[in-house]
Amino acid sequence: MNGSRRALAVLVLSLMAGSASAQSTSDLTGVWAPYRGGRGADPALAAPPATALVLKPEYAVPFETRRKTEAEAAARGEPIASAAVACVPYGVPRMMSVALYPIEILPTAGQITIVAEAFSEVRRIYLNKSQLPIDDVPPGYYGHSVGHWENGTLVVDTVGIKTSVPAYQNMPHSARMRITERLRLVSADILHDQITIDDPIVLEKPITYTLAYRRMPGYEMVEFVCDNNREFIDEKGGTHLKVRDR
Amino acid sequence: MRRPLCAAVLSAGLILSAIPARAHHSFAMFDVTKRVTLTGTVTMFEWTNPHAYIELDVTDEKGTVKHWSIELGSPSILMQGGWKFKDLKYGDKVTMVVSPLKSGESGALLSTITMPDGRVLGNGPLPPGGGRQ
Repeated sequence: MNGSRRALAVLVLSLMAGSASAQSTSDLTGVWAPYRGGRGADPALAAPPATALVLKPEYAVPFETRRKTEAEAAARGEPIASAAVACVPYGVPRMMSVALYPIEILPTAGQITIVAEAFSEVRRIYLNKSQLPIDDVPPGYYGHSVGHWENGTLVVDTVGIKTSVPAYQNMPHSARMRITERLRLVSADILHDQITIDDPIVLEKPITYTLAYRRMPGYEMVEFVCDNNREFIDEKGGTHLKVRDR
Repeated sequence: MRRPLCAAVLSAGLILSAIPARAHHSFAMFDVTKRVTLTGTVTMFEWTNPHAYIELDVTDEKGTVKHWSIELGSPSILMQGGWKFKDLKYGDKVTMVVSPLKSGESGALLSTITMPDGRVLGNGPLPPGGGRQ
């Protein structure tokens, strides 16, 4: 083998290695609970702070007005109800972080399924498929998600979330919202989901925040069927608890 | 010039942390700055979603019975704090610390409870007053 052929062989081999590395996967299988850090926790594993949420002015003003209304209602003890008060599920992306409830990640051939314990929500991520045009996805709670691996990080693209489904901090969003997630292990048992929301209609710039999870070996997911909802919503949208006489 | 200025103001004002969503509703219905101690008899224990509930009869020194509805976390959250679905039954005597409804109705959010067997449990895995369920 002469020098030029040897160099070509090395180049081909390195490209092949690079390709294999780029597609290398991580085993995310199992149950994961929110990782809050706190006392005794490694701060290096905690989620980094979110970037600023910057809405376009025409959306920022009503958003701020709504937040003030919500604060006043909360002070009265009549917090403005979200859809979740009526047991409507959260959808993507909020289902990925609901209070202390875990999620379960279930890889199968060509697909990764994520089950959230709260409200028993299910989302499906189709691997190594092209994303559909946004206009071809029926607006819904989970939209259409495709994913691929980049150096051990699962990169997920989601479109088709309908505008009534809550997004980050209840920010408004349009049908053009696109969600990009990067799920990666930052240690053997700590998982980060970096979520970037872009919406050219509503946002001045994309918002990025990160959710941290800890592995829960042996945990069995608990059923969650919302069949005893005692909260009710008044005509002003306030939340109340039905108190029984006896 | 107007738009960039407005955006900058919001950028400073809306730097929000990635706080997870509450499971079901805000707890602003309850006055969590108050702690009321109730000692009474369980008339019902509902191990249900989105919340578990304890129905409690509390008898005052004059013999008058006042009924309370006490909201707990969900079964999943309670289990993370050591609860079991058959921990309480009709007729059990318990003492609990609760945060009452701001409305004045006899409903409340559980903070801690002393069970019939003497165990003290919270409303999930967080310490009493530890915030969201």
